[in-house]
Amino acid sequence: MPQRPTSSLAACVWIPLFPLRCEEARREGLVTHPTALLAPDLSRKLWQVSPLARHTGVRPGMTVSQAIGLCPTLRLCEPDPVHYDERFARLLAALNEVSPVVEAGELGLAYLGTDGLEGIFGPPKKVVEAIECAVRGTWSVRLGWGKGKFAAWVAASRAKPGEAVIVPAGGEGKFLSAQPIAVLPLDPDTHRRLRQLGIRTLGALAALPEEAVTAQFGAVGRRLWRLAAGRTVEPVVGSIAPEPIVAALTFFTPVGERDLIERAIDQLIARALKDSRRIGWRVQAVRLVAELESWGGDEDGGRGAACCAPTNRSWLVTVLLKDPTADGARIAAPLRTRLEQAPPAGAVTRLILEFTAFAPGTTELQLFARDAVAAARAGQRRALESAAREIHQRLKRTCLYHVIEVQPWSRLPERRYALIDFEP
Amino acid sequence: MVAPARTALRADRLRAVNVPRPVAVELNAGGEPTLFRRSRDNGDGQETKAAVVEAILQSWRVDDEWWRQLISRRYFEVALEGGGRVVLFEDRVSGEWFVQTA
Repeated sequence: MPQRPTSSLAACVWIPLFPLRCEEARREGLVTHPTALLAPDLSRKLWQVSPLARHTGVRPGMTVSQAIGLCPTLRLCEPDPVHYDERFARLLAALNEVSPVVEAGELGLAYLGTDGLEGIFGPPKKVVEAIECAVRGTWSVRLGWGKGKFAAWVAASRAKPGEAVIVPAGGEGKFLSAQPIAVLPLDPDTHRRLRQLGIRTLGALAALPEEAVTAQFGAVGRRLWRLAAGRTVEPVVGSIAPEPIVAALTFFTPVGERDLIERAIDQLIARALKDSRRIGWRVQAVRLVAELESWGGDEDGGRGAACCAPTNRSWLVTVLLKDPTADGARIAAPLRTRLEQAPPAGAVTRLILEFTAFAPGTTELQLFARDAVAAARAGQRRALESAAREIHQRLKRTCLYHVIEVQPWSRLPERRYALIDFEP
Repeated sequence: MVAPARTALRADRLRAVNVPRPVAVELNAGGEPTLFRRSRDNGDGQETKAAVVEAILQSWRVDDEWWRQLISRRYFEVALEGGGRVVLFEDRVSGEWFVQTA
């Protein structure tokens, strides 16, 4: 198995509240209102809160009623994890244009390995500018550059939106020593204990003997001390796109019925998706090859098979998915359409399906994927929104409505419910 | 109440559901509806359709909001000849009849 590329020089790209920014990007006017995103689970608690909402006292983890009580004008958004993941994947793809070594963190956080990039772009400032160029127009990112992921992350967390902080080589210790301990990956208990000990900055922590911190906080403390002292340089670890994944099916007798071919395609997709090399990647390009029943020259005026060698025929479809996906149905849909529009000119003897290009997935998506209900709900919503958009485009008017309760207790039927346009 | 996802809730965009539509009703001796006629615009003009009441399934009265504008209605849930079920009501203030879906 090929070794994954690494880089000790790192750039950190950080977009805080990434899911909320995605919602603001697709819904005009949201940015000017206090906004909160509901959690993608069934708790119906707040997940992310905009700065305007935070100003009114609304905090993540609150219930909707608590939040509305504090801020009656709060705009609540249902989460759409699949959309956030797609946007993030696009961001990673854009960063991949700058560096082949890209490591995804949580949604909105990515590291780029910049070892060797000075030969292409020049000094770190130019590298950072190239990264800014790659994502400019889409996002206002905070950028940090330094040796190791931690220094880059702290630099990014210190940067203002749309700006970059560069930690010069050799200056990591000085830079880190002035930073608050909150930049460390701390659990609340360790954070509290450090503050009780009067340790407010990384410099104060690094000034303690390593053994003393290890004795007090164990292995976690040792790691924290080494990060604070700049002794640990965690490299950026990129990923390698998998080789094409191939699944094939040979029919005992040539198949001409479209239903059977479609079913075979579904089977092949399911089989290819299960391939362990696909984990962490979403499919971007699919190739479907059908080997067709070979025939001789019988159809050619009946001159006899002897004078014409059997002809190998095939049928090929290549599909580039606009939104990379790991969902079998979404991969199958364009293949089915092509099969319907231009079916193979003969019975199929063998079907070969290849996933030829991939887009990186994220750890966050895998987290959401564990919550099957949330994932299913997000999928249904996307399908509904897509259908609504299509209807609106065709008929130039909204034909879908939400039914909302107005006075469900009313004795007069016409006062109980009302309709409101469904606008995705 | 949480607004529907991705749709800002604005009162001016609300559409009423199950709005009563005026009908002409024929009554029996007991004052119960036996037939009603409904007019509607089919684009070329008014079209009137009659529906015969096959059975009265239930009836009730609503007297409400006497403190502002009195609402007094006599409701009949009826089964129609040929199938279908609707609610007819008489506005006892104006004397007009209306139909609603059941």
